[in-house]
Amino acid sequence: MTDPILALLLYQLADDELVIGHRDSEWLGLAPHIEEDIAFGSIAQDEVGHATAFYRLLSDLGLGVADDLAFLRGAAERRNAVLLERPNGAGTYLQDPAFDWGYTVARRLAYDLFDAIRLECIASGCSYQPLAQLAGKIRREERYHLLHHVTWFKRLAEGTEESRRRLVAGIEQTFLDAGGLFVMTPSDYFPTTSAALLERWTAELRPQFDAVGLPWPLVMPAPALDGRAGQHTADLSALLETMGEVYRTAPGAAW
Amino acid sequence: MTHEERLAQFMARIERGEKIESTDWMPDEYRITLVKFMQMHALSEVMGALPEKEWVPKAPTLARKLSLMAKVQDEMGHGQLILRVAEDLAKPLGKSREELVGELLTGVCKFHNVFHMPAPTWADAGIIGWLVDGAAVVSQAALLDSSYGPYARVLQRVCAEEGFHIQHGESICLALAEGTPEQRQMLQEALNRWWESLLLFFGPADTNSASATILMKYRFRTKTNEELRQKFFDKYVPRIWSLGLTIPDPDFRWNEAAQRWHYTQPDWTKLKAIARNEGPLSQYRLGLRRMSYEQTKWVREALLGKAGAGAIA
Amino acid sequence: MDMFNVYEVFIQKDHGSPHVWVGSVDAGSPDDALLLARENFLRRDPAVSIWVVRQEQVHRTDYEDRDFFARETDKTYRMLTGYNKVNAEKWRKYKKNLLDLEKDFVKD
Repeated sequence: MTDPILALLLYQLADDELVIGHRDSEWLGLAPHIEEDIAFGSIAQDEVGHATAFYRLLSDLGLGVADDLAFLRGAAERRNAVLLERPNGAGTYLQDPAFDWGYTVARRLAYDLFDAIRLECIASGCSYQPLAQLAGKIRREERYHLLHHVTWFKRLAEGTEESRRRLVAGIEQTFLDAGGLFVMTPSDYFPTTSAALLERWTAELRPQFDAVGLPWPLVMPAPALDGRAGQHTADLSALLETMGEVYRTAPGAAW
Repeated sequence: MTHEERLAQFMARIERGEKIESTDWMPDEYRITLVKFMQMHALSEVMGALPEKEWVPKAPTLARKLSLMAKVQDEMGHGQLILRVAEDLAKPLGKSREELVGELLTGVCKFHNVFHMPAPTWADAGIIGWLVDGAAVVSQAALLDSSYGPYARVLQRVCAEEGFHIQHGESICLALAEGTPEQRQMLQEALNRWWESLLLFFGPADTNSASATILMKYRFRTKTNEELRQKFFDKYVPRIWSLGLTIPDPDFRWNEAAQRWHYTQPDWTKLKAIARNEGPLSQYRLGLRRMSYEQTKWVREALLGKAGAGAIA
Repeated sequence: MDMFNVYEVFIQKDHGSPHVWVGSVDAGSPDDALLLARENFLRRDPAVSIWVVRQEQVHRTDYEDRDFFARETDKTYRMLTGYNKVNAEKWRKYKKNLLDLEKDFVKD
């Protein structure tokens, strides 16, 4: 019988990566310039690739087929942080996509840094070897994501007055949900506490703010919805509806 | 050297099969025609990403989601490669990427007729990857000998990556062809929908437009529309049949006497409407691109920093 | 009216190979150009190093100046082909003796 604490950790990892990878993929063809479209496309692929690897670990534990886990579970069963399910901006990828690059950069930076710390903790301290090994591999790809978004953070902060204003708005919006990332359960698989994670995250992010003269947001409210406990927004339901639309027409079939 | 002498020398180089480079002397007609052609090719790749990206969020398995993302990304990558080549050639004309992309949004630059069409089901994503990309490879492979060196060089990379796209499209179509009756039907319906577009893809047989003549004269292109269309049939019709699919044209057949495929002519007037951006989804897709372009203008300004921000139109 | 700068991109696929030009990117800064080059040119292939160079910083010869590359008189004295054929013929004369020598060694 699989330890439910291990399964929960794997669901958190897999669902986080799938949902943010899906949101990133909505930018395909619509990014600020062509070169960035291509670079950001790789990041989206990496995230979905990581999600796939985590779902496979769940599958190896006998918890179901990876595609079923990704496409058929309802919103209440999802364990991703709410921050990652928020839309990229007004509109949808099909209709009037008024996507917000300032929010995208702020959210990605917050998440990438969190994810880097989380993976480091798992790679070095997780007692379940297959997960520890996978985290070690994924960390190497995530390093580039972090570098990519740190670079963007600086560009927007130091670009024009408008870009700085939009970045600040994106940061404020991100911070409303960011607390939800840190709701993680300490265990032999994840030997750290939420408070320690948050402290480390703050210690690494704050100097980035100082370097570009941006005020550190003093408030990070407790999350109104705990995504890790299956509490989600209507945006996630809509995302899942879209994501599983084709798969649900013939779940067992080869696609 | 007089202009006539230079021109004669240039044409002699073309006829010897030499490659022209961006820094060489060239007649304005060559430069302007090529910039226009490459601009249209590059922006067609960019617009071509849109019908398929519609299916990334709905791709039915994790593996399909990944491969479709990679495919759409490659299309953008091809747009980037070719646009860079066009930019270098357009520089003496005072045009930068800003103008080249801007002309798409104002309708001055067209994008390929095949990307004005809807892709309403998952099978459409498969048919695009397999047959639209198949048609693209046929027409692009014919340009590998192009007289313009930088374009011929990037096309080598483009064609190599298109090989992956066709495998990706084939893989989707094979899975559907071997799947449930509903999946097979979805595939056949997608083929029915795309067949006319695949004929229109290569353009009319008897084209003698000014730019086509110029492209031939300078050995930028060497094959006619009809030659390419027949080549496409040679390669793909047997494959379509072997999957048990029906070509939605009762008169379609191999004409042994003429040694060519006989097909019912598509409605060529549709191409005229598309050229005016009045195809089924012309305005919708241009609208998406225009919106994203305007929505992210501030980001591009930020990349230039304060000093350069004023320089952007 | 240029929006970004053009950076020419050079990729080194492994430590045993030279950096090879692969194309160019439009970017706002050298750092951006490096990040963008990674995805624009290395989506499939492995590599160990990327260089980016501002296009204006590349100085080039003129394709039309054919004389710059002229090589009219005999330069075989500095090529492999200038020697290997003659050398091979000479060695052939010694070959028989060599083989006999080898035979002698085998006998011992």
